[in-house]
Amino acid sequence: MTGEEKIAALAAIRDQLGSRIRTGSDLLVVQETRERRAATGLSGLNEHLGGGLPKGHLTEIISERGPCGGGGLVMAAMLSRVRQEQQYVMLFDVGGSFTAESFPPEDLEALLWVGCASPFESLEALDIASRDENFSLFLLDWRNCLRRDWSGLKSSLWYRILGQLREREVAAVLFASEAVTSVAKQKLQVRIPVTCGRLDEERSRLWEELAFSAMQMENGQRREGHKERRQAG
Amino acid sequence: MVSCPDFRLQAVVRRVHTESQAVTLVDDTQRQSVVLSRNEAAMRMGVEIGMKTVQALARCPALQIERPSAPAEIAASRLLLETSLSWVPGIEETEAGMLTLDLSTEPEEARVDSAKRIRGRLYDAGLEVVIGLGETPSLARIAASAARQKGESIWQLVPERRLDLLDGLTLEVAEVGAELKERLSLWGIQTPGGFARLPREAVAARLGEEGVELWLKLTGQMRRPLRFAKLEELFEEHEDFDYEVCDREPLLFVVNRFLDQLIVRVARTGRAATAVHVLLTFANGVCHARRLALPEPALDHEILFHLVSGHLDSLEWKAPVESLRLRFEPSDTVASQRLLFGAGLRNRFQFEDTMKRLRRLVGSERVGSPRMRNTHRPGAFELVPLPSEIETASERGGPPVTGFTLCRWQGRVRAEVRWKSGQPERVASRPVSGIVIRAAGPWHCGGDWWHEGKQWRRREWDVELSGQGVFRLVESEAECFLEGRYD
Repeated sequence: MTGEEKIAALAAIRDQLGSRIRTGSDLLVVQETRERRAATGLSGLNEHLGGGLPKGHLTEIISERGPCGGGGLVMAAMLSRVRQEQQYVMLFDVGGSFTAESFPPEDLEALLWVGCASPFESLEALDIASRDENFSLFLLDWRNCLRRDWSGLKSSLWYRILGQLREREVAAVLFASEAVTSVAKQKLQVRIPVTCGRLDEERSRLWEELAFSAMQMENGQRREGHKERRQAG
Repeated sequence: MVSCPDFRLQAVVRRVHTESQAVTLVDDTQRQSVVLSRNEAAMRMGVEIGMKTVQALARCPALQIERPSAPAEIAASRLLLETSLSWVPGIEETEAGMLTLDLSTEPEEARVDSAKRIRGRLYDAGLEVVIGLGETPSLARIAASAARQKGESIWQLVPERRLDLLDGLTLEVAEVGAELKERLSLWGIQTPGGFARLPREAVAARLGEEGVELWLKLTGQMRRPLRFAKLEELFEEHEDFDYEVCDREPLLFVVNRFLDQLIVRVARTGRAATAVHVLLTFANGVCHARRLALPEPALDHEILFHLVSGHLDSLEWKAPVESLRLRFEPSDTVASQRLLFGAGLRNRFQFEDTMKRLRRLVGSERVGSPRMRNTHRPGAFELVPLPSEIETASERGGPPVTGFTLCRWQGRVRAEVRWKSGQPERVASRPVSGIVIRAAGPWHCGGDWWHEGKQWRRREWDVELSGQGVFRLVESEAECFLEGRYD
């Protein structure tokens, strides 16, 4: 059998087996993907993120101001998951939005809360904390911030933090009411109708009902992202 | 008892390095220089203690003459003590070059082997010692003297054979006074064993207090508590600079050297450092002292250097440094047992460093692990240090967790509320305004009425505003405000 014939035979086998056959590089990608994801405790979110939060990256969870929200629920689920795994999480709370009574007391055992005065201060704090190997997740709560609060932030700071997250292979999640930065690997919008009648519903049921959708970057933001990358380069 | 013969001489010139060389320690402070101490080689050449130095030189022209040195004696004392600390923790510095060790924690059968090991370590470090083992500090001292007299390195006064063994010694070993010794020799008593066999009452009647004291010593009935050496003052290094140090770089160089030395010394005792004390003296007379605590005992050079250098970096110098003193607070290496199934901080040193920097950035009152306070006051939580261990999550008891989380707004967001039949009908505020389509409440709460001027009372509603979400509305002190949004 000549070389060409062999290639043709392999192609025929591949056609017959379809997706059941995988190359070594495919398997490597799968393995790497599996290893570098941190489960969130929410199956819907895990699905959207391809298995969990990408380690070494920033993920944005956007919960718009309005009748539908869910950002706080996602935060509670992540906190609960990290506590179950007996790991530590650091929360950078900008604007004092944290409410201790909203979370089960045992979940708070794994939480280190850092109260920050501004988004810039929270990034500076994350810059310090992201060098620490003791924490497996960093949460930035900017839900109370407006665009003008973060618009002046230098992209170099974002990239420096990303570099450190990558080095430590730690995930960071930014909760905001609108898309913030183009350095985020993924931006997901969370939606669940928030009504008075659901305030007594079990949280586990609310978690199941959370709906996620990937956010498309606006043209302006994409241009801004390219500019940021050029500056960082 | 660990005893270093001719301690002052050994402190200046290590005996093990000058076995063949005749060496003597002389006292130059008198009108005529005299010999204070000499080694074996000098003794063989006829050099005696108390002899004039000139006379000693006449007998031994190659005699090496040394003078006492207080720093060398301190260094030798530290070496003796630090090395002995690897044996037992309770040690008394009875005299210069003489330590009494509390071996009550050591199994009897292991004592001789441990003694040999310590003697070997000291010999390697240049000090030759003899070790006497006995039931009481006094008997151990006698045993050490016996070892010296018999030319042995270790001598044990076994309790079961104590009188027989004492029979083989002279009265000098028991440090008997000249007058008492003469009286005893007239009675025909030549050994401590013979004296210990005398009845106590007869000794008391004939020899008085001195005789009874000796009798109690030899029969093992004289016990006294040991005054243990303070370890925290032991592991210290200091330097008075001949020049003024204006820069951090040379200071860190000295710190590095000190840490190297202290780490070796503390490691020799099987311990670690729990804190480092730094004392700086500046040329303007100001002293800076600080205790730098470690999150857990450590002896890692990198960690300790980072700790000290980090502190020195944060220090503002107004004058050059004149002297530096570093001291280790020693502790046992195993300070706590970790939880069997728990997990915790991977790197406590890094964590402490992160905390320090975060506190500097946002303020110490804004970093910590939140805990609910024992009050019904909404939003009240306190910050505690993050636990270094996390136990396995237990099955959650009590009522299930319900509802959304409250995203609190900063400050009071005042709201104008239109009421209808005691229920909010319309809410107008800076961030949100609208018709209330559903409301839950009111919930009354209050507290601290037992504290004068601190009492609080409020009414809460959860209000759903048309197309805007659910908010917490609060009525307190005759005003209404929105506390936050459910998310």
